[in-house]
Amino acid sequence: MADTTSCETRLRQAVLNGDAAAAASLVAEGLAAGIPPRTLLDDGLIAAMGEAGRLFEAGEFFVPELLVSARAMKAAMAVLDPRLAGEARTSAGRIAIGTVAGDLHDIGKNLVATMLRGAGFDVDDLGVDVTPSQFVQAARAGAHVIGVSSLLTTTMISMRAVVGALEDAGLRGRVKVMVGGAPVTPEYAEAIGADGFSDNAGGAVTLARRLVAMARPS
Amino acid sequence: MTSRERVLAAMRHQRPDRPPFDFSWGFAPAELHRLQAATGASDPEEYFGADTRMLRPSPTRLATDFSRYLGELPSGAYADEWGIGRRPSASTDAAHAHLDGFIYSLLDASSEEDALAYPLPDLDADYRYEDFAARVAEVQARGIAALAAMECTIFEVAWYMRSMERLLLDFADGSPFAATLLDRITAIREGQARRYAGSGADVICMGDDVGTQRGMLMSVRMWRTWLKPRLARVIAAARAVRPDVLIFYHSDGDVTAIVEDLIDIGVDILNPVQPECMDPVALCQRFGRRLSLWGTIGTQSTFPFGSPEDVRREVRTRVETVGASGGLFLAPTHMIEPEVPVANIIAFVDAVKSAT
Repeated sequence: MADTTSCETRLRQAVLNGDAAAAASLVAEGLAAGIPPRTLLDDGLIAAMGEAGRLFEAGEFFVPELLVSARAMKAAMAVLDPRLAGEARTSAGRIAIGTVAGDLHDIGKNLVATMLRGAGFDVDDLGVDVTPSQFVQAARAGAHVIGVSSLLTTTMISMRAVVGALEDAGLRGRVKVMVGGAPVTPEYAEAIGADGFSDNAGGAVTLARRLVAMARPS
Repeated sequence: MTSRERVLAAMRHQRPDRPPFDFSWGFAPAELHRLQAATGASDPEEYFGADTRMLRPSPTRLATDFSRYLGELPSGAYADEWGIGRRPSASTDAAHAHLDGFIYSLLDASSEEDALAYPLPDLDADYRYEDFAARVAEVQARGIAALAAMECTIFEVAWYMRSMERLLLDFADGSPFAATLLDRITAIREGQARRYAGSGADVICMGDDVGTQRGMLMSVRMWRTWLKPRLARVIAAARAVRPDVLIFYHSDGDVTAIVEDLIDIGVDILNPVQPECMDPVALCQRFGRRLSLWGTIGTQSTFPFGSPEDVRREVRTRVETVGASGGLFLAPTHMIEPEVPVANIIAFVDAVKSAT
């Protein structure tokens, strides 16, 4: 009988190494050994992506390391997903994310979306140049958290309009707003009435967990 | 001192009469219109007496069909000479959107053959530089420093074709496709660098954004593997023609981790040194006369959100703490965006001109 601890540890290591083939075969090995799919997901893949985010925050991982880890997780999920379908899938929360209207920069936004998916969130990526009304639609569609990104000081200013539009739509009570992007500061986030700020993709995951817990009725 | 004498003195760490300045990355269109309306200046560089002018090669005569790489372009989109599909912002006033949306021409490529088959531009062709030396001489005859533009030197132009995500995965995978593509781009840039150096231009302005607000986009090790040797080849090509041509390197974000390497391969000037994430004083103390700083007046902070007095204070602080022995060129750290008060632009120029 396989050593279950060892399989999950090796799976985490494979994801952190960005080794997609090893991650996929370790999932198959774990399933064959009778490890519950949910355990492989939570203690293997999601735990690994959490560690990748921590290493990114600590300056030990950079964008390419996150991308290869996310790719390895995706390869493993292709094997795991059919087996998870039978179980009630519990999402970490629903997040709609986009780059604010007028701004086409998406590198940071994409990275945050990737890390949120890696942490088990359902992510609705609205793309770039997203208007306040598109964010409102996403909130109506059930997002717990709205993530807004900007790279320019010009468009950072229009993040306030997103918060305002959610207020006008009467949704502000049940949806949380997180903001990020190069010029954005915690002070600015607070000034426009956002619920949280992160300056990096690893921190954004931690923040999203906290905000979902606040937004989602327990 | 003429503008050109001032630029050359400052960048060689000989003390100029005052620090040189320019508007390195220009103005967002809406801001330019507002500035023109407020000052009556049709051309801010002429109106304010900027110390430099940026020159580019003549337009290409190639009419490469990139449709097999880009498919049918959406309305309003176009392909540039690299085959990069460019799509302006859709939903808001395009006057303040300074980045196009990209349609990636090499997103699905995978092999070395794909990289070899791709039709790259003729930026190294003689005909594009026929009048370049004359244009350089014309600028210099007016006492102004002539800059030769080579931004997005290797990495950026490659990811505009490939997508950043795919190109960084290529780097992580050690992809022969990416190595071949980068080598071909580098060869074109070497040809361009030789022509620029031979033209008598004072400064060649290279650059690839490899920094983020918090540090490097990729590890220093990855940068040293993929980008440093190629940038070194481009610089060496220029220096082989003219050993004393000044080399300017631009990267947004905090690139402190590679400054020593940049100096090693021949970079003289670092731009834009965003004060929000890089410390000009620390750079000055660490690298001294080996590096000049160009920029340093924050477009994420003081320009949009400060008062004219804040702008003057930042200029004075920089001159006192960094510029005492030369090595300082003052400029906004990026494009001047529409929310920047015109009074701040005027205050910037006034403060620089009254500095000693």
